[in-house]
Amino acid sequence: MSDQPILEVRHLAKHFPVRGGLLNRQVSAFKVIEDVSFSVPRGKTLGLVGESGSGKTTIGKCLIRLVEPTAGEIIFDDTDLMALSPRELRRKRGDMQMIYQSPAASLNSRMTVGSIIGEALWLHEHLNGNAARDRVMELLHIVGLKEEHYYRYPHEFSGGQQQRIGIARALAVRPKLLVLDEPTSALDVSVQAQILNLLNDLQQEFSLTYLFISHDLGVVRYLCDQVALLYLGKIVEVADVKMIFDEPKHPYTQALISAIPEADPDDVREQIILSGDLSLHRPTRGCPFAPRCHAPKLDLCETDEPVLVDTGRGHQVACHLHPKEQIS
Amino acid sequence: MTAPLLEIQNLHLEFKTFDGVAKVLAGVNLTMQRGDVLGLVGETGCGKSMTALSVPRLIPMPPGRITDGRVLFNGNDLLQKTPDDMQRFRARHLGMIFQDPTTNLNPLFTIREQLIDAVLYQRHDQQQVPGRWKGFLPSTRQLRWDANIRAIELMQLVGIPDGDKRLSDYPHQFSGGMRQRVLIAMALAGEPDLLIADEPTTALDVTIQAQILRLINGLVARLGLSVIIITHNLGVVAQTCQRVAVMYAGRVVEQAPMRELFKNPKHPYTQGLLKAVPTRHTERGALMGIDGSIPNLVHPPAGCRFHPRCPHVMESCRMAVPPTVQVGQQHTAECVLYGAGV
Repeated sequence: MSDQPILEVRHLAKHFPVRGGLLNRQVSAFKVIEDVSFSVPRGKTLGLVGESGSGKTTIGKCLIRLVEPTAGEIIFDDTDLMALSPRELRRKRGDMQMIYQSPAASLNSRMTVGSIIGEALWLHEHLNGNAARDRVMELLHIVGLKEEHYYRYPHEFSGGQQQRIGIARALAVRPKLLVLDEPTSALDVSVQAQILNLLNDLQQEFSLTYLFISHDLGVVRYLCDQVALLYLGKIVEVADVKMIFDEPKHPYTQALISAIPEADPDDVREQIILSGDLSLHRPTRGCPFAPRCHAPKLDLCETDEPVLVDTGRGHQVACHLHPKEQIS
Repeated sequence: MTAPLLEIQNLHLEFKTFDGVAKVLAGVNLTMQRGDVLGLVGETGCGKSMTALSVPRLIPMPPGRITDGRVLFNGNDLLQKTPDDMQRFRARHLGMIFQDPTTNLNPLFTIREQLIDAVLYQRHDQQQVPGRWKGFLPSTRQLRWDANIRAIELMQLVGIPDGDKRLSDYPHQFSGGMRQRVLIAMALAGEPDLLIADEPTTALDVTIQAQILRLINGLVARLGLSVIIITHNLGVVAQTCQRVAVMYAGRVVEQAPMRELFKNPKHPYTQGLLKAVPTRHTERGALMGIDGSIPNLVHPPAGCRFHPRCPHVMESCRMAVPPTVQVGQQHTAECVLYGAGV
């Protein structure tokens, strides 16, 4: 059963209520994510890419139910997370952990590193005393910190080291899935490379599955096996990382990839410059990307919203230019 | 060979902190010709912003203190100017763009008012005439009218559609990319010789970043601007700059034409930095970080400040600051690997 996906998300949606009017009633809903479906194979990394406001962090939070989804199914390890009681959910959360963007903000500044990591051990495995201490030391070693760091406070560490503490805390409960929410965007490149390599090593050592949320396509290309692109809360393209970067099909993906500033002056490509910017109010009809799209427009683009179709070899695209019939 | 537009010589800057005196800049040397686009790269805390801010003298003093060095702009030492002269100099010759476009616009005023303010300020000192001629000066109303026309021009210059209508909008009605364009318009109000862009695209999404970089490239070509771009993103450098200066812990460790730097990096820090960026050819697991982290500037390492992280460290690196060595045409590196220096 190894090719059974560890995580499967079906028709996930999250609407935030917009209140207004005389009685502050709900007048409309802000649809942050709508009808998102994807799956992550065991031991692989799925990259979730999109610009700010595309809903990528909300998806990550919905998965571990830190944000309650409006609709949809989340099947993790053969269990539907949406059907779990709070008590069962808490137990299940040991299998899925999240690592946040800002390492400083996600560590309690009044606790020592030992107690930050030890707390996770106590809550999930009821370890304390020497057993917990030994395990924390082991974890510190795994993420490349030293034993003497046990009694230190988060502010005594650099950003990269703080992120390592966050990773150690997440690993403490022996998770199967890590949701990594832009784990390196607050770090310098030389440190980012250290953390990416650490994540890579950990994945192989503990056969972890990653959901890697990022806006940095360079990092995604480096670390991920599969990539899903989000635009305004919808997935517009899913494929293997090689396919996404070699033959992107959706115009948005093409533009995004061409916009990466490559650190190589000889890598000259025709840049597609998108007009306008991501407006959070999607058009009522038609393709949400149509107002910024650079590809030749079809009449359909203005009237019908494209759905995600498989164009072969697991490459899914939501664009009228790539209808299902095209499969050769 | 004409005189350089900007020349920073042996600049030393210190900050008083509770832990002691942080030697933030320790002998920065930088030369820039008119029309150059210079990239200033390095990691957080290496002094790239401080170097750039020392040109308009925007470093708060105290706690900052310039202990040595000169900043020559067209041959005039800026550090010797009086505050009034400095103010006039900034208005006429300098434009600045900062990282976060939101905090640099006043939310309570329309873009029109803020742009007109910028334009009027640039023109302010042209209105200084002896008292008896005051009557011949254009009225305030006339000035504001002219400034308004200039503001519309500026909005068009930076590519804001419907610029004349959008002048009446408030900053919150603009998106991040558009706000950055407004700030660029403000910086260009006085037709500056030198534009200093401090991480101009760090807060923006990649698609917007591409738009802004294209705008800056276009302005350089059209207006003949000289630009200093401060960034930690080597990709941005490769897309925009002609020359690059790599900084580490308060010193410029390598300076070269952009292409040369990417093809033929000499300083071990530059080499490490380039290997740490994933490109389309990087195999999984092949990314190389630079071990360790940036040094404490209150107690910097003796000798070469990079030596604790350097893979090629030698005995002499721990003793003395390495000499600046000419390693190629217009290419200098501060490292003992390349001989005893000039």
